[in-house]
Amino acid sequence: MSALRQFRALVLKDLRLELRTRDTAIAMTLFVVIAMVILQFGFGTRETDLTRFAGGLLWVPLTFAAVLGVGRSYVAEREQRVLDGLLVAPVSRFVMLMARAVAIVGYLLAVQIVAVPLLGIFFVKGPYWGDLGWLFLACLVADIAIGVLGTLVAAMAVFTRARELVMPVIFLPLLVPVVIAAAGATHAVVGPNDMAQYRNYVLFLVGIAVTFGLVAYATFDAVFDD
Amino acid sequence: MTDGAGEHPAPARGIVAWAVASAVLMTVAILGAFFVAPENADGDIQNILYLHVPIAVVSLAAFLVACVAGILYLRRRDERYDEIVAVSIGLGLLFVVLTIISGSIWARGYWGTWWRWQDPRLVTYLIIALLYGAFFVLRNSSEDSSRSRFSAIFAIVAFVSVPLSFYAVRRAQDSVHPTAIDSNGINIDGGIFAWLVVAQVAVAVVFVTLLKLELLQRRTDRALGKLRRLLEDPV
Repeated sequence: MSALRQFRALVLKDLRLELRTRDTAIAMTLFVVIAMVILQFGFGTRETDLTRFAGGLLWVPLTFAAVLGVGRSYVAEREQRVLDGLLVAPVSRFVMLMARAVAIVGYLLAVQIVAVPLLGIFFVKGPYWGDLGWLFLACLVADIAIGVLGTLVAAMAVFTRARELVMPVIFLPLLVPVVIAAAGATHAVVGPNDMAQYRNYVLFLVGIAVTFGLVAYATFDAVFDD
Repeated sequence: MTDGAGEHPAPARGIVAWAVASAVLMTVAILGAFFVAPENADGDIQNILYLHVPIAVVSLAAFLVACVAGILYLRRRDERYDEIVAVSIGLGLLFVVLTIISGSIWARGYWGTWWRWQDPRLVTYLIIALLYGAFFVLRNSSEDSSRSRFSAIFAIVAFVSVPLSFYAVRRAQDSVHPTAIDSNGINIDGGIFAWLVVAQVAVAVVFVTLLKLELLQRRTDRALGKLRRLLEDPV
């Protein structure tokens, strides 16, 4: 089977599993909605226009949702011993890495389809809806960085004793540059509409995604090398 | 285990030499910084920078050492590299904490506050401390069979994320941190810079001494464990 077909099969497996169980993307979306409602009550009732905080208000809930979703991504496979089967199958680790990263990007985009409009409804008072395309572009690039890094970290965390604790503790600090750049890009579009600044942040996100991608490619083999 | 030339085994004698060099260099650096170096226009509080800057540089160097050792471990699977990863990150974390503490003392004297969230370097160092603190959570929670591999991978990923964090925080806010060396060259008096270099060498030697000491202790522990197992079960 060619690498492309293996990749397609693995991505479809993840997405089909999610469509059947509906326990990751929906839980992540609900989490983000609840977090944004809480933020609305925490900040929005005291200050009517929170446009200048838009970056943080979007990316803090998304980051925690990503940690929850990515952390779960290997759990079912480990518990049902699917991972053991995959590891002995003639599938390259790189294909496994890319397939899982694409599935995570899919989950995150599904969450963002709800979260990005909510940001405009709850927090932004100025022009917003015309910039949705730019926001989703920044989200997509950030999601790729999160997906690649998350796949690597989750693969390690799932083999640890305290995986629920290990995952956020090691993933969140590694995500800091992604969150800063994604929040910066969001703020640049929603706040001052500074497209030069937006471009710089998105290019930086591309750089982060490529860097983490290369590191994950170089080290992912070693995670399963038992 | 001795080579017959003295009462200490050879590795211990090496450590003694490094320890003596550390003590001498640190004494010279501290005396030079406080009594010989030119007076700073901003007052005595600036003298803390003779320790703060070298410690900060060495903390990042320690993480570089851990990253290189991690790469070597993944290539050769030699447990000695795993020990270097763990010890380097431990020492690097200690140096990061010392950097934050010395920086806060300086900030209190110079800015009148212990901490400024507006300063990207302070914030980045805090992030680095949290990041490398997480290393020990991962290491302690890993099974014996995967501990070394996961430690090596983390050392590489974390070191790659350090410059990304620095750049991201710097993009997000303008720095108010004084900069001794930038694209315009060296911005400080030549005499001060010379003593800064001496202090840098001294702190680097202290780091190497601590690294060698900890590695020696771990290897001794391992050898003793092996000996104990052999005595308990000679067959």
